Amino acid sequence: MISLRGVSLVYPNGVRALDGIDLEIGKGDFVFLVGHSGTGKSSLLRLLYREMFPTSGEITVDGIRVDRLKRNRVPMLRRHLGVVFQDFKLLTDKTVWENVAFALQVTGAHTRDVMRQVPRCLDLVGLSHKSRMYPGELSGGEQQRAAIARALVNNPKILLCDEPTGNLDPATTTEIMELLGRINLKGTTVVVATHNQAVVDRMRRRVVRLENGRVVTDEERGYYFLGLGQDQILSG
Amino acid sequence: MQATAIGTVAVTIVLLGAFLYARASVSHIANDAMSQITISVYTVPSATKAQEDALRTAFAKDERILSSEYVPKAQGLHELRERMKGQIDTSILTENPLPDKFRVKVRQPELVPAVAASLKKLPGVESVDYGQDVVQRLLQIVSVARRVGIALIGLFILVAGIIISNTIRLTVFARRREISIMQLVGATNMYIRLPFICEGLIDGALGVILAVAVLAIARATLVPKLALALPWLQLSAAHIDVSSLILQLFGVGAAVGVVASWIAVGRYLRT
Repeated sequence: MISLRGVSLVYPNGVRALDGIDLEIGKGDFVFLVGHSGTGKSSLLRLLYREMFPTSGEITVDGIRVDRLKRNRVPMLRRHLGVVFQDFKLLTDKTVWENVAFALQVTGAHTRDVMRQVPRCLDLVGLSHKSRMYPGELSGGEQQRAAIARALVNNPKILLCDEPTGNLDPATTTEIMELLGRINLKGTTVVVATHNQAVVDRMRRRVVRLENGRVVTDEERGYYFLGLGQDQILSG
Repeated sequence: MQATAIGTVAVTIVLLGAFLYARASVSHIANDAMSQITISVYTVPSATKAQEDALRTAFAKDERILSSEYVPKAQGLHELRERMKGQIDTSILTENPLPDKFRVKVRQPELVPAVAASLKKLPGVESVDYGQDVVQRLLQIVSVARRVGIALIGLFILVAGIIISNTIRLTVFARRREISIMQLVGATNMYIRLPFICEGLIDGALGVILAVAVLAIARATLVPKLALALPWLQLSAAHIDVSSLILQLFGVGAAVGVVASWIAVGRYLRT
């Protein structure tokens, strides 16, 4: 589903964010991207939705060569992906409903499709009862759920999450991660960049660790720290 | 912010409209004056009747010429006395100094110099006169007005375009968060552009409407006063096609609005 081959990303100021990344993510996978801040987790995600353009290498997402994509085709790519951000990125002057509907409307969808899909997604994230509220009236967790609903409204095969729980308290974090887990069970490929150790250790999914822009480990049922669970670290 | 754009565009269009109006007036006055010009074709004193008839035929055949009238010297003297009454005592003229002449009227005022030049060559013609100095000056005025006009119009349009463009850029900048979210969610550039283009179009159109209102009021109040002050200017505006002028201004305003906002949004989206 997602394939990176020899991907490097060097910023204009010379910083090497990614260095020769080789990564394969299959359909229906759930992958954590971990590493210190600045190791390239966000950069990697940005390459996937073409916010940035790789310096070298090949990137394939759902059969599309993203690195070869023409600028005017990028909107099409993004309609097939769902992206969730740490700061939610909701439109503050629109209600929850309007925010979710918006992602569908930009594709030129019919009103009847909008009327069908938006409630479905709101239901999935548990926000149906708050669809008429504005982001400013919601808690952090609710805003993130709204953002997730928006990311899902186009039925994407892939959900990219860039520090989705970064602004949330531990309890809400757990709720959001459980939601992402449920979404993954339905068949959506989920990639989560995070430096939340507790989350990673609790879920025990595939963990891809980045360091200095390179993939250093790739474990199937990984922990945040290499081969060690929280309890093992504490006990020394 | 939008009020500023609309207001400044309105001012620009008022100036543009007033200028176009003035230019049309100048053109009209000049043409009017020119249309009253007649060419005086003086025959040689020794001209025979045959030669005069030949000239008449030549005038009739020349399609640039509207009419010709034979003015024998006696009639010429009479007309001169009438014109100079009160200014000179023409009784001092014991002999008639005037030659016979044809008074030739031309279909289009601009042709006067060319026609005069060709008539001069005809046999039996002593000289041709049409008030060259005046005509040349008028033609110069019209030509200069035309060229200055084009330059000024270009300037006006440029200014209006820049103003609208800057207003749109401010709006785009103010909404950059929404725009980036729209891009992340998969909106095409055209989808993002459209509301801004519409805004530019509205700015331009409203500016023109305001300007037209101001110009209409100005015309109703100022022009009669000017006509009283300068009666020889003949500022009666019946000759000027107002509806076509308004349409032109609208076209300009709308086009400027659309182009300016297109460029303003495009510059942001490209980065």
